[in-house]
Amino acid sequence: MSKKSILGLFDTPDQGADALDGLHNAGFESHECDVLTGTPYPEGTFGEHVPQHRLFRFPLFGAIIGLTLSIFITTATQIAYPLVTGGKPILSIFAMLIIMYEMTMLSAVVTTVVGIIFESRLPKFNLGAYDTRITEGLIGVVVNCEEKDLPKAKKVFKDSGALDTKEA
Amino acid sequence: MATQTNIAKYSKATSELIGTTTIAPKKIKLIIMILSILSILGIVGIVLKILNGFEDKSAWGYYAATISFLLTTAAAAPMVAIAPTIAKADWVRPITRIASLFSVVGIVTALASIPLIFALPPLIVDETRRRSIWFEATNYSPHVWFALSIFGLTLCGLGLLYSSSIPDLAAMRDHGTGWRKKMGKSLSRGFIGTDGQWKSLKMRIGMMGTFYFLMLMFVNFLFSIDFALSLVAGWKDAIFPMYHAMTSLQSGIAICILAMFFARKYWGMENYIKVPQFWALSKLQLATTVLWFYFFYSAFIVFWYGRSASDQMVINLLIIGPYLPVFLGAFFLEFFVPWWILVWNPVRKSIPALAVVACLVLVGVLLDRIRIFVISWSTYSNEVIHKKFVPEENFPQFMAPSVADIIVFIGLVSLSALIFILSTRIFPLVSVWETHQSLLLTKVVKYVRTHVIAIGKPD
Amino acid sequence: MQQRRKLSQKQINQELLSGNLKTPKWYIPTMLFLGFFVVTGFAVILYMFNTGLGVTGLSRPVYWGLFITTFVFWVGISHAGIMISAILRLTQAEWRRPVTRAAELLTVFSLLTALFFPLMHAGRPWRIVYWLMPYDFARGIWPNIRSPLFWDPIAIGTYLTGSTLFLYVALIPDLAVLRDRTTGWQKVIYTILALGWRGNPRQWLLQTVAGILLSALMLPIFVSVHSIVSWDFAITPSVEGWHSTIFAPYFVIGAVHSGVSAVVTMMALMRWLWKWNNHIRPEHFDALARLLIVVATAWLGCTFLELIFSVYGREAPEIALRELQIFTWPWNLLFMIFLFTGYIIPVGFWVFKKARNNIVIMFWTSILVNVGMWLERFLIIVPGLARKQPFTFTWEAYTPSLVEWYILVWSFAWVSFLMLLFARFFPLIPLFETKESQVFTSETKIGRATVPVIYREED
Repeated sequence: MSKKSILGLFDTPDQGADALDGLHNAGFESHECDVLTGTPYPEGTFGEHVPQHRLFRFPLFGAIIGLTLSIFITTATQIAYPLVTGGKPILSIFAMLIIMYEMTMLSAVVTTVVGIIFESRLPKFNLGAYDTRITEGLIGVVVNCEEKDLPKAKKVFKDSGALDTKEA
Repeated sequence: MATQTNIAKYSKATSELIGTTTIAPKKIKLIIMILSILSILGIVGIVLKILNGFEDKSAWGYYAATISFLLTTAAAAPMVAIAPTIAKADWVRPITRIASLFSVVGIVTALASIPLIFALPPLIVDETRRRSIWFEATNYSPHVWFALSIFGLTLCGLGLLYSSSIPDLAAMRDHGTGWRKKMGKSLSRGFIGTDGQWKSLKMRIGMMGTFYFLMLMFVNFLFSIDFALSLVAGWKDAIFPMYHAMTSLQSGIAICILAMFFARKYWGMENYIKVPQFWALSKLQLATTVLWFYFFYSAFIVFWYGRSASDQMVINLLIIGPYLPVFLGAFFLEFFVPWWILVWNPVRKSIPALAVVACLVLVGVLLDRIRIFVISWSTYSNEVIHKKFVPEENFPQFMAPSVADIIVFIGLVSLSALIFILSTRIFPLVSVWETHQSLLLTKVVKYVRTHVIAIGKPD
Repeated sequence: MQQRRKLSQKQINQELLSGNLKTPKWYIPTMLFLGFFVVTGFAVILYMFNTGLGVTGLSRPVYWGLFITTFVFWVGISHAGIMISAILRLTQAEWRRPVTRAAELLTVFSLLTALFFPLMHAGRPWRIVYWLMPYDFARGIWPNIRSPLFWDPIAIGTYLTGSTLFLYVALIPDLAVLRDRTTGWQKVIYTILALGWRGNPRQWLLQTVAGILLSALMLPIFVSVHSIVSWDFAITPSVEGWHSTIFAPYFVIGAVHSGVSAVVTMMALMRWLWKWNNHIRPEHFDALARLLIVVATAWLGCTFLELIFSVYGREAPEIALRELQIFTWPWNLLFMIFLFTGYIIPVGFWVFKKARNNIVIMFWTSILVNVGMWLERFLIIVPGLARKQPFTFTWEAYTPSLVEWYILVWSFAWVSFLMLLFARFFPLIPLFETKESQVFTSETKIGRATVPVIYREED
C-alpha cells in the first residue's frame, strides 16, 4: 500500500490541537503527524512531540576545522618564504592569533548554517500535502499514512472543525 | 479584587523575606565575632603601615591592590542591579537587593583609601611636574578629587540602597518587631504606597542608579590613572581606565553570584533566587570574561607592534617581567578557565558550577590588581618618574606580600563581609516590594496544550 | 508606552509584501535617480583606474584621505546590523522585530561598499590578488600575516559572509510566503531559495535556535572587525595621534553609534516610503534613541580619553597635532562641527521624550550623527598624516578632488540602490517575526489597567 498525505486546515490553534489529539486517539503515531504554521508557536502548543536536534555540534566542529586550517595556513605560508617585516619574528603568534580567530569564527558560522539547513531537513522541494493559506494564518495538520487510513484521518479533521482538507 | 490566594501569596513572601533579617541568630553571632576579630587585626595592620610612614612607596603596593580589589568588586556589584533594571529586565528583581547591599562596603573602601591618598606622591616632585592627566592643576589635585569621588560614590550607593529599600522599611514597620519595627517606622518616612509615592520612588531609583554608574566610571578613571598608570614613567595607555572599569564589572558580577549562592544556602532563598537569575548573570559573566581578553589584547597588540622603547618597557615590566607568574595566574583565572567553563550552556544553568567560576574570577581579579598596583608602586621613584620611560635596571624585583599586607587584606575583606552581614540584619536580603511586583506581573498560564510564562510589561 | 496593533497574519502579509508583489509608483523614478549616480560613479572609478591615483588629491604625506575615511565609515555603518539583530535578540527585546532585517541588510551592503574602497585605493586593484591570496604565484612570496592590511580583508570577509548567511537563514520563512503568493518565474526563484520550507515545529525550533546561536557567534566577530580596522592606525607609531591603545573600543563604539543612527534614518524612510505606520511606530524610535544616548555618551567618553592621553605624554609633536586639529583653521571648524553633530545636538534632542517620539526629529538627528562620525574618521586620519613629515608647507596640502567627492556620493547611492533593489524582491520587515510578536504578546487586566504581556517559554 502506498503512503499518502492528507492535510487539514484549521482556523485556530485550539482546533489544530484538537485535531492532533483526535489523530492520536484514532491510532496515528506521533511520527506520522505534523503541524504546519505560518509563524512559530511556543513549543508543545499543539501537544506535538518537541523535536530534538544536535545543532550545537556543528559550530564546535566548524570551529575546530577553522582553527586547524588557520594554524596550518598561517604557519606554513610564513615558513615557506621567511621575510622579516618590521623586526617581528617570522612566526608572530600575536598577529597569527587574529587570522586564526577570524577563520575559526568563519568556519563555525558556515558549519552552523549548514547544520541549520540540514537539521531542518532542507532542501526538500516536494512540499507534499501543503496549502498556501498556511502562510496566511491557517493551521495545517498533516498525516502521512496508508491510503486505507485516509478516510479515518479525514473524519478526525472534519470532527475537529477543519475548513478544508487536501490529499497528496 | 485580590483573591484570598493572592493575599496569602503576598503575605507568605513578606514574612519569609522579612524573616531573613532575624535568621539563625546564634550562627550569625559566631560569624560576626570571627569577622570582627579579623577586622580588628586588619585595622591594626593598617595602623602599623601608617606608623611605618609613606616614604617607601613599594610598601604600599599591596595595600593599593587591596583597595582596588575592594573598590572594583563591591563598588561594581550594584551595577548588576542598576543596569538590568534600567533595561527593564524582569529576571533581576530577586537579586537587586543583594547587589545594592554591596554599596555598604563602600564605607570600608572609602575609609580604608584614606591612608593610600596620603601615600600617593604629589604632582610636583623635585620641583618638576610629573606626567599626569592633571596637566597644570594644583599639586594635590589627584588626592582631593579621588577623595571627593570615592566618598561621593559611597554616599550615592547608600542613597541608592536606601531609596530602593523604602517600601521594605515600610513593610518592616508594619510586620517587624522590636527595634526593627521602630527603625522601619523612622526610615520609611511615612511611605504607604500611594501612586505618587511609587512614581517618585521609581524616579529616584532611576536617577540615583544613573548617577551611581557615572560616579563609578569616574572613580575607576581616577583610581586607575592616578594610583597606577601615572606612577610608571612612560606608561601611556588610553584603554587602561576602561580595562579597569570592565574588570570591575567582571568581579562585581562574580561577587553577586557568590552572594546569591550563599543567600540560597544559608538564608533559605531557594524559592526566590532561582536558576533564571544565575543563568542571566552567567551570560554577563561570560561576556565580561571574553571582554577581558579583548581589552587586554587591544592594549597589548599596540605595544607589541609599536616596538618603541616605551612600548617595549610596558610589556617587559607589566607582563613578561618579574610578575609573569602573577600575570599568568590572572590570565588563566580571569579569562581562559572561566571562558571554557561558561561557554557550555548546561554549566551556565548549574548553580554550584557558577559559584566555583565566581571564586576563580575573584582570585584572578585579585592577581591582576596585585600585578598592576604592586608593580606601579614598586616602580615609582622620584629619580625615575620624570624619565621618558623606566629603564630596565630600575625594574622592581618580585616582592611577596609582607605579613602586614596579608593581615590588612584579610582584615579589610573580613570588615567588608562583616558590614554586609550586619546590613542583612536591617534590610531583607531579597526585595519584598519587587517580589510582590513579580508575583503581580509574572504567572504561568496555559497556552493551548502547553504552559508559558506570561510577563506583564507595564512600562 | 506600548503601541502594538493586533493584526491578522493575512493583514501582515498584505502590508509588508505590498512593495514585493507589485512595484510602488515612486520606485522606478527613485531607482533611476540613484542608478544615474551609481553608473556615473562606476564610470568615474574606471576613469581613475585608467588615469591613475593622481586624479585624487592624495599626495605625500597624506596617502590616506577620503577613500580610507569612507572605508572606515562604511565599516562603521555595518555594525548596526549585528548590534540590533544579535544583541537585542539575545536580550529578547520585543521592539527589535521590525528593524532586524533592514539592519542586517544595511550591514551586508555597507560592508560590500566598504570593501570597494581599499580595492580602488590600490590604483591597480587586480594586483591585490598577489598580495591577498594565500597562493604562491610563482614568486615564492606569501601574504604578510603580520600586516594589519591583511587582517582587514580577512575580518571584513568573515563578517560579510556571516552576515549574509545570517540574513539568508532568517529570510527562509519569508521566502516561503513569497513562494506561496507569486506565480511564474518569480515563484520558481522563491521556491528554490525557500528550500522547501513548510513551517513544521522542527523547522521553527531550529529557526529560533539558529537566531540565538548565530547571534552569539556573530557578536564576537562584530567586535573584532572594527577593532582590526582600527589597528590599521593604532599599531603604527609613526603617525601622531594614531598610536593609542583605545582605538579598538573607540572605533567599535563609534561604529555602533553611527550604525544605529543609520538604522534610525532607514526606519524613518521605510515608514514613509511603504506607509508602514502599523509596524514602525514611535515607540521603536524612542527605544533606539534611548539606546543611542547610552552609546553616544560612551563614545564621547572614549573621545575624551583619546584626547587626554594623546597629550598625556607631553610630547611636542602630539601636542602640536592636537593644536592643529582643534585650534587651527580649517580643522577647528571641522572639529566643532564633528562635536556638535556627533553628540551635542542629537543627544540634546534625544533626552526629551517628545523629541524621541518625533520621527522627523529622529530622522534629521540621525543624519547629523553620521555627518559627525564621517568627520571624526576624517579628523583622525588626515591631520596626523599631514603632520607626518616636518615640512610646514605640507600641513594643509590635502584637498580632496572632485573625483574623490563623486566616489563618496557614489557610495551612498550604491548602498541605497542595493537596499531598494533588495526591497523590491524581498520583505524588509521580517514577516515571521512580526507574526511571532502577535502570538507571543497579549494583554491582561490588572484592576482597571490594561497591561501588555509577553509570553516566554518555560525552560
